Amino acid sequence: MSMADNVRTNEQKGHPSSWGLGTIKFVFTCWKVNLASAMEYRLSFFMLAGMMFINNFMWLFFWSLFFSRFQVVNGWDLSDVMMLWAIGAGGFGWANILFGNFNQIAPIVSGGQLDVYLSQPKPVLLNVLASRMSLTAVGDFLFSLTIYGWVGDHSLRGLLLFLASLLISGLLIMGVTLIAGCFSFYVGNSDGIARQVFNSFLALSTYPSDIFRGFAKALLFSIIPAGFISYLPIGLLRDFDAEFVLEAISVTVGFLAISIVFFHKGLKKYSSGNAITLRG
Amino acid sequence: MNVNESRPLGTWSLKGLKAAAVARITLRQQLAYKTDFIMRSTFLLLILFVFVQLWGAAYQGDTTKVIDGYTLKQIIWYLVFTEAITMAVPALCGIIENEVKNGDIAIRLIRPLSYVGYHYSSYMAEAIFRFFIHLAVGSVIAWTFAGPPTFGLGWAGLLALTLGAITIAFLLNMIVALCAFWVEETRGMEFVLHKLQFTVGGMLLPLDLMPEWLQRICAWMPFQAMLYFPARTAVNYGDVSVMKQFGIQAVWIVVLAAGVMMMYRRGVAKLHVNGG
Repeated sequence: MSMADNVRTNEQKGHPSSWGLGTIKFVFTCWKVNLASAMEYRLSFFMLAGMMFINNFMWLFFWSLFFSRFQVVNGWDLSDVMMLWAIGAGGFGWANILFGNFNQIAPIVSGGQLDVYLSQPKPVLLNVLASRMSLTAVGDFLFSLTIYGWVGDHSLRGLLLFLASLLISGLLIMGVTLIAGCFSFYVGNSDGIARQVFNSFLALSTYPSDIFRGFAKALLFSIIPAGFISYLPIGLLRDFDAEFVLEAISVTVGFLAISIVFFHKGLKKYSSGNAITLRG
Repeated sequence: MNVNESRPLGTWSLKGLKAAAVARITLRQQLAYKTDFIMRSTFLLLILFVFVQLWGAAYQGDTTKVIDGYTLKQIIWYLVFTEAITMAVPALCGIIENEVKNGDIAIRLIRPLSYVGYHYSSYMAEAIFRFFIHLAVGSVIAWTFAGPPTFGLGWAGLLALTLGAITIAFLLNMIVALCAFWVEETRGMEFVLHKLQFTVGGMLLPLDLMPEWLQRICAWMPFQAMLYFPARTAVNYGDVSVMKQFGIQAVWIVVLAAGVMMMYRRGVAKLHVNGG
């Protein structure tokens, strides 16, 4: 019996330790293959990543013009907004590099392209997510590191807090987007709505949360939890606020858990597209 | 009547009829994709809402304060106008790049219709239609948060300068799109063009609020004629003569149109379409 067969048998039996090891190996292999295929078209890869890097800088250019006219906006200054962009782009970046299909669930489900993942003896959601790597996201991630290097706190504590903020931001973006994508299981083609939710959520995550007031602010810290990302530069990095951090972690874990349950419940409703699909 | 005498008029009226037909077809296509439109419009509402909050914070909610010639109300309406123009512009680069890549351009070229003219007719119909829809959607937000648009003659200035503005947008996009004859992949350049409109075009920030050195650079670029001119004229009519702005737009239209025609002729001359 080969090693692969062993893993498969253990998976079927639900053996937790081997399941975990096999899955981790599998995910690493996915990442390796994704990177190798990105490197196949090196010029295109660098063009796309570079483009996104410039894109984010153009936003910071706008903010620098804005802050040159208005020094402080509701307690935020330019370096806070720069860190906000570092956290937003960095979180989005790593999530999209490692789990690049998280914003593609709606078209995959409505196009009947889940069959290929269902036929493989691997955890379906993880397999779907890790099967794609976004090239532009590499630019986002590098941008994030550059900004951290430029205006971030370089002490060990600062570095750890920055990494924690990237983790929270990436996981929260993934959780919200996955939930929106999973609507496709229930209402048919929800590609447009999912994309809209994704774009709106990202847009809201990149503005200082303190510019919002009243009902809008309440929404940002509840159903549309973008506020938990956009307040990280203040609540986690600048003035550590334990209560906010705890809430941010709970909300992130909550949204991620809901998305996983939502996906697996939806999977029971999934009907094959009867299309022969190969993953390239 | 002599046939030769009637010919120029006949050719022109025929061209006009063709252009009108293309515009009509484009409009019908636009009306067919209602969901797409509603989606875009809701995103515009969201973005404008965020801007209202941002500028409200910058002005500290003071509706009487004037910063570099703009009150909070003027800034919010300014953003509605620049966003309406920006979102009106169709994705020309993608369309032309695909036509060149997959060879569909061969079909367009054998039609008794100018290639650039065809795209201009189609583009204008779509852009004008989209402009008014987005203007209406954006007005809902601005009216709610900043009050009614009491701009008087500014409206006439806006509408008049918007025509030139979207023509300049067409020419700029066409120049980038025609690069597809040489480089195939134009998305990167299109992206840079959009970012230039976004910053030095004054989409998010009126040029008057920018540092002096940047304003001087912007004055020499075509991007201000595309977004800043119509929006500034709408909210601050009379600051700069409309005729002067028309003149600058006209110069840019001539310069850019010459660029488009030159690129088109050279591009078509080197075009090879294989198979069919």
